Amino acid sequence: MEVPVTVEDSWNAGGHRFSSRLLMGTGKFRDAKTMADAIRTSGAQLVTVALRRLAGGSGGTDDLLGPLLELPGITLMPNTSGARNAAEAIRAARLGRELSGSPFVKVEIHPDPRHLMPDPIETFEAARVLASEGFAVMPYMPADPVLARRLEDAGCASLMPLGSPIGSGRGLATAGMLRIIVRDARIPVIVDAGIRAPSEAAAALEMGCEAVLVNSAVAAAGDPVAMAAAFARAVAAGRDAFLAGLMPRGADAAMASATSPLTAFLSPVSP
Amino acid sequence: MTVTTPARPSTAEDVERALACDDPGASTLAALLSPAASTYLEEMAQRALALTRRHFGRTVSLYTPLYLANHCSNGCEYCGFASDRPQRRHRLEPADMVREMDALNDLGFEDLLLLTGERTQLADVGFLRKGVLLAAERFHHVGVETFPMTTPEYARLADAGCSGVTIYQETYDPVLYDRFHRWGPKKDYRDRLEAPARAMAAEMRTVGLGVLLGLADPIPDALRLFQHASDLRKRYWRSGIALSFPRIRPEPGGFSPPFPVDKAMLARIVFAFRIVLPDVPLLLSTRELPAFRDAMAGLGITKMSAGSRTTVGGYSGEKPDDAGQFQVSDERGVPEFCAMLRERGLEPIFKNWDRIFQGAGNG
Repeated sequence: MEVPVTVEDSWNAGGHRFSSRLLMGTGKFRDAKTMADAIRTSGAQLVTVALRRLAGGSGGTDDLLGPLLELPGITLMPNTSGARNAAEAIRAARLGRELSGSPFVKVEIHPDPRHLMPDPIETFEAARVLASEGFAVMPYMPADPVLARRLEDAGCASLMPLGSPIGSGRGLATAGMLRIIVRDARIPVIVDAGIRAPSEAAAALEMGCEAVLVNSAVAAAGDPVAMAAAFARAVAAGRDAFLAGLMPRGADAAMASATSPLTAFLSPVSP
Repeated sequence: MTVTTPARPSTAEDVERALACDDPGASTLAALLSPAASTYLEEMAQRALALTRRHFGRTVSLYTPLYLANHCSNGCEYCGFASDRPQRRHRLEPADMVREMDALNDLGFEDLLLLTGERTQLADVGFLRKGVLLAAERFHHVGVETFPMTTPEYARLADAGCSGVTIYQETYDPVLYDRFHRWGPKKDYRDRLEAPARAMAAEMRTVGLGVLLGLADPIPDALRLFQHASDLRKRYWRSGIALSFPRIRPEPGGFSPPFPVDKAMLARIVFAFRIVLPDVPLLLSTRELPAFRDAMAGLGITKMSAGSRTTVGGYSGEKPDDAGQFQVSDERGVPEFCAMLRERGLEPIFKNWDRIFQGAGNG
């Protein structure tokens, strides 16, 4: 497929159009100013914030909502981190919508604190209910191609499979499954969790993911603002590479076909 | 409960292997706690810092204790609340609780830990439940640190809005445990050992475990604590654990700890646990001196109390006339403590939980 790279390259989730393919998280920063500077530098337009970190108007010094609302051009996406089951996530999502005014919700249900792997059963149930209530549901999910189909059918706005467990920084350990999900999906696929280096974000975009979401990789970097800039460039490069079309794999196979040593015996002139 | 005891003393090579280990477990911890690790403190600190930052970022969560009562029927030799201590015994009535909680709210706290002594007629589960109900209206996260309960009792507290239970075994050496807990219900080692599992069975979100450093040899105690935590995490995979390593402080009875733990050993214990349990919150209270707390914040330690009182109440109005459970070593106020954290590049987090998660039930 020919893709003209000159037209504005954007993507769509839940009826909203975004040009930035880098989504940012808001946790783990040393202070609100560093967080805001990093988000601004990253160019992120869709930013997730944990409901448990929103003070709901009581205005603590650590309330993230105030500094986030001051950033221009940002759409907030409350997340349900902390929820152990669908019922808790649904309640958190409703409160998040009330506090933020955003139609987006990142459904995060990871009941096992050891690895924070998403619970596929509870995630599906919460996504189904919230999608029916009109939320733009962005489910954090295991990189499972069948679950991806089910979530898409349930009316999710995107799929957010993990590259590797949250905070592990192990990159795209699920690459094989991600490729299947990307190939089959009719809604955006956004790699969420596990990314440590900008090169890994680039790799996700190269494989056709619509976007990536990073948090720890920026917040816990030596210089978070500089790292945000590096991620922005890597994501742009990865997208450009996807649009340009990677060289096909298996150059050695192409050479083999020229001489066909294994199949020469099939030729009509062979003895 | 089985405990992995290393067949031979750890060597420098074991420590190096432990530091490079990708999948740390009991043997890693044994090496890092061993005397051979004492010359690897800097390497351990570097690793602990990296893991803390990766899992918790540049943040430290804050909580505050509130003692609801100091009545006690136990004879813990090291404790200022022991029934033979000449303490003025009293408890907070609901109006006092509200006043104290409002004062703590005004300081910004959203994470409250309610404490009592042993179960007594004046401070029983019903009394504690009243405290939890009042606290849950004012704080997003409420925990209790009190006497062991049954699963239905823990469930009553959870229904009232309690998310966490802290219950330290003090020591995992049954012989020394029996010696230091001279009388009272706390003498029952096994009842206390099994209380965290009962709290988790009642669907408490987090259970805090710990040993009271100074009572017994810290190395076997720390290894058994790890085993206890590991067993619980396998059985109750939806609950979180948090660990704490309080050192015995001077108290009105003048107890002198038989196994004093110096600050290098305490730091080594914290680093070792951060390395083997990178995702688990590690707590440090105002038992420790400011300089030590400042240095450990974000270096393994991820949750701290500040401006604490160990008297019954004491945050609003006049200072109570009881002597407290123990002397605090860090008397800085909350703003001063937060300023220190910020100066060190750490954000103090008051709210890291939301009451919306409490009581939504299953399904």
